[in-house]
This record gives sequence, C-alpha cells and structure tokens, in this order.
Amino acid sequence: MAKEQPKIQAVKRPDTASQKVGKGLLGIVVNFILMAFSLSCIFPLVWMLYSSLKVKRVFNADIIGLPKNPTIENYVKILSNKDYHLGASMWNSARTTILSVALILLFAFIVGYILARIPFKLNRPLYVMFLMGMLIPIHSLLVPIYIIFSRTGLSNQWFTLLFPYVAFNLPISLFLVEGYVKGVPTAIEEAAAIDGSSFTRTLITIILPICKPILITVAIINVFGCWNEFSFALVLIKSSALQTVPLALKQFTGQFNADYPKIMAAMLLTMSPIVVLYFSFSKYIIKGMVAGAVKG
Amino acid sequence: MLNAIRPKKRTVIAYLAIPVLLYIFTVFVPLLAALYYSFFNWKGGPKKEFNGLENYMALLSDSTFWASFSHNIYLVVICILGQIGIAFILVLLINSKLSRAKAIHRTFGFFPSTISAVCIGFIWMMIYDYNKGLLNWFLDTIGQHEKTQVWLNNPDLVMFLVSIPLIWQYIGYYMVILLSAVGSIDTEILESAEIDGANEIQKARFITLPLVKNTLLVCITLCIAGNMKAFDNILVMTKGGPGYSSMVMALYGYKVSFEQSNLGYGACISVGIFVLSLAVIGGSQLLMNYIMNDKYDREEAKLQKRIEKERVKKMKERARLEGGKR
Repeated sequence: MAKEQPKIQAVKRPDTASQKVGKGLLGIVVNFILMAFSLSCIFPLVWMLYSSLKVKRVFNADIIGLPKNPTIENYVKILSNKDYHLGASMWNSARTTILSVALILLFAFIVGYILARIPFKLNRPLYVMFLMGMLIPIHSLLVPIYIIFSRTGLSNQWFTLLFPYVAFNLPISLFLVEGYVKGVPTAIEEAAAIDGSSFTRTLITIILPICKPILITVAIINVFGCWNEFSFALVLIKSSALQTVPLALKQFTGQFNADYPKIMAAMLLTMSPIVVLYFSFSKYIIKGMVAGAVKG
Repeated sequence: MLNAIRPKKRTVIAYLAIPVLLYIFTVFVPLLAALYYSFFNWKGGPKKEFNGLENYMALLSDSTFWASFSHNIYLVVICILGQIGIAFILVLLINSKLSRAKAIHRTFGFFPSTISAVCIGFIWMMIYDYNKGLLNWFLDTIGQHEKTQVWLNNPDLVMFLVSIPLIWQYIGYYMVILLSAVGSIDTEILESAEIDGANEIQKARFITLPLVKNTLLVCITLCIAGNMKAFDNILVMTKGGPGYSSMVMALYGYKVSFEQSNLGYGACISVGIFVLSLAVIGGSQLLMNYIMNDKYDREEAKLQKRIEKERVKKMKERARLEGGKR
C-alpha cells in the first residue's frame, strides 16, 4: 500500500490554478453547509442558556440579544418554590431511570445469556416471544396499559413506571446481549465447569466481565430512553408528587406559558444531567446508540 | 457440547421466571385486554355493556381516525425524505476531503436526538410563537412583516410545521448511523474509482449508495416505526389542533380515552393502531425486500446469461482451434 501511494499521485495531474480556486470555493461551501447544520443543532441550547439569564421584560423586548445584566433570578425562583415540583421530579426521574436501567441490565444479561447458550424446551418459544415484543407497536398499549394498571392498583405508585420501562426495553437489550454472547467461545464456560464452578458462579464471575462492553451499550441506550420517556408516564402517573421530568415540564409550561425565560431555565435545569452526560461521553454514547439502532 | 455447562432445569426456571412474567404482564396482558374491552361500550365506570362489533364499525367510518392515520403516513414520508435524505447528503459532505472538524459535526448533530421530545416541542413552540418567536422575529428583521402569522394556528401548514422539529431532531441520528456505514467502506474502492476518473457525484451514486444500501434500509425501517408512534411532540406543540388538523393516531386514542373517557372505544382505537402500524411496517418491509430482490435477481440473471454466452463462445472457439489442429 505505502509503496504504491507515490505512483498514484504521479499519475494524477496537478491542479491548475483555476481548479485550485474552484476547489477552495467548493470547500468553503461544503464547510459552510456543515457548520450551519451543526450550529442549528446546538443553537437552541445556547439561546436558552443565555436567555434564561434575562428577566421576562428584557426578553420580551429583545428575544435574540445577549443579556446586558445577567441574573439567576429565574433559577432561584424555580428552585425555591416547591409548588413547581421540578426538584422532586428530577429526583423521581433519577430514581426511575437508575432502577429501570439496573433491572434492564440484570434481566437482559440473564435472559440473553440463557437464550444464547442453554438449550431447553422453551428456548425457541421465548426467543420468538421477545422478538414479537420488538415488533409490537408499543404506543398501541398506551390505553390498555392504563386500564390494566389502574384495575390492579399498580398505577400512580413510585414503582409504576419501572414495569413499562423495563418490559419495553428488554427485548432490544437482551438481543444485544444474546448476539454478543454468541460470539464468545463456549470453551471458557466449559473450562469453568470442569474446574467445578457452578452455573451461577460462572455467570457472575466469568461471563459478566466478558459482557461488559455490550452492557455499557445497553445502559447508555436506556438511560436516555428512560429519562426522556413521556407518553407512558403521562398515562400512568396522576399524582404531581410522582411526576417525572417531562410531566413536570409540561405542567410548568402550562402555568407560565408567557414567561419564556422561566420556562427556558426550567428546561435547562431538567436537561442538565443529560447534557452533561452527553458532552462528557459523547463518543461512547454515539457509538452505543448507533450499535443499538443498527443491531436492533 | 454444552452439556458440561448445562444447569439444572430448576435454576433456569428460577432465573427466567421474573423477567418473563413481568414481560408478559406488561406487554401481552394489556394487548389482550385491549382486544377484550374493544367489544364493550365502557366509559370507565363499573357499568359496561357488550356491543359486539359496534366499536369497530364506528372506527371504520371514523373520519378523524383515518385523517390521523393519513397524518402518520405523511410524517413517515416527509421524515424519510427529510431525515434520511438530508442525513445522507451531509454524510457525503462530511466524508469529502474538503470538510473540516468532522468530530464536531458528529457531536453537535447527534445532540438533539438525546433530548426529550417534550423539550424539543417547547423549543419549537417558542420558535413559532407569534409575539416572541424566532421565526416571526426573523421575518420582521428581513423586512417581510406581512408574512408573519400565528404559525401553529394555520390548519394548512400545521402538519408541515410539526414535522420540522421531528426532522431536525433526528437528522444527526441518521447521519451518525450512515457515517459509520460509509466509514466501513474500503477506501481502495473509492480510490480506484477516482483513478478511473469518477467524480464525487458518480462515486456517491455508484459506489457509496449501493454499499450502504442495507444500512439505509435499517434507517428507513427505524424511521417508519418511529413516526407511526408520533405522540409527544405533537401533544406538546398543538394537541392535535387546530381542530383535528395535526392529529395522529396515538394522540387520538389518548384523547378519546382520557378526555372523553370513552375507554371502550379507546381500546378499539388501540387495536386499530396496532393493526395499522404492523401492516405499514410489515408492508414496507415486504416492499423493500421485493424491490431489492427483484433488482438483484434481474442483474444476477443478466450476469448469468453473459457468463453462459462467454462460455459457449469459448467452447466453440476451442472446438474450432482443436479442429484446426487436427
């Protein structure tokens, strides 16, 4: 390869002056389009960031300008007033997300491993069942799940949302694990079994560390999914003390639909964990999400 | 081979019981319940009466429901074109030698897809707002004041306006998926095409596009599934209005069930959403397979014919030569 490189360049004619100018112009256009796209993606965040430092009157007078006397008044007001439930909702979301992701990881790991490795009568039927679960349009369950949960008294509890979040994200997660485990040679487990390790012990001390990369991917996909989930929370949670972030935001904006800086402050506040997480680990997060999407 | 590691039946059952039961309870029980309640006239109270297929007859002639369905299809089409089309063009631009700062485009572009649809909805509501919206501010600034309007109250425009946030949110997502597919193309192929004198557009059309075809199909499937369940953005931005002009299926089911508390009919709509979504996703899957296979088969057949011709020609040639020798 390296040896052939100069040959290729020798064959290629050097650009003439006009070609160079053309290429330079084209480069500017290409980079301009890309920059415009990137900026449009990040601009709302920046706009909200500095606009949330204005008071309503200043914002209404000039919606785009930078704040002349930045103030954190909006944030103080939001956080000091318990009626807005924003702090509580963040706690609810954090708890729901952490518990859901932990359960998803546990279940996906166990079920994925067993489906990949252990032959038993129900293996195929279970596999098909979870596969069907991936095809089922989840949003058609919005109303029926409300009926079932309110009949069984499961709705409107602190643990209510764990059910849909775990169940709906389980299929994709366990298929990711299953695919990964299939690529691991069985010799490892056989060796462990010959050395007298029990099934459970092999699972925890040997397979778990091997599966770490795929479990991280699973966790990443689901953290964002659970934190942002709105529709099922809307249907299943009625008490304002149990609201998750998207619900609280919706209520909050209903109350203050004229006070944009305040809404922006509230949105930024509730987005902050996700934003910090994303910009700290964007490389891994992007990689994980793409792997999840394509394999799913 | 696996007998050495095969655990006892009891152990397997113990491990599987909780996740499988939880899964069945949360996914399949509601599904069956929807089917059951869809045969009843039920307003959520203790009283419910069996009315057979009445709900389904009503659903079939419910123009709002079918309008919602057509809005879902509209979203699917516009998002496939907008999200994946724009994403593909951006990928080509990023991958050309002229672009700079690729990592930044990837990080920034992907960002909107990580925030919740509720936030996206509010951000765009602020952009469309009449008094303080960026869109009207922009029109004012460039001196087009007469074009400003209460954007989301315009029934003719509202579907297009609510689809823009959806498109915008996921361009980066598909861009990153396609980037990773394009990145795995062997650079030697592109280099040899370049030596043969292919320009950028030809390279994109005849090399990149066929090689990322499978990833494109994955993206299209994701896009269809994603837009059949459109709900959050639209609930936040317009609540399906003005009137029903931006109503989508899931939102309609929600409104009927919870605002008119007509749970029996709501369950029936849920079954309708289920069937229609599966039909659209399955149908598009079949269609894509058909198109792909068909094209492939045709080309394959052509190739086979040519090979056969060559072979016959060669054989004749050889026979002639051998005949000549003799």
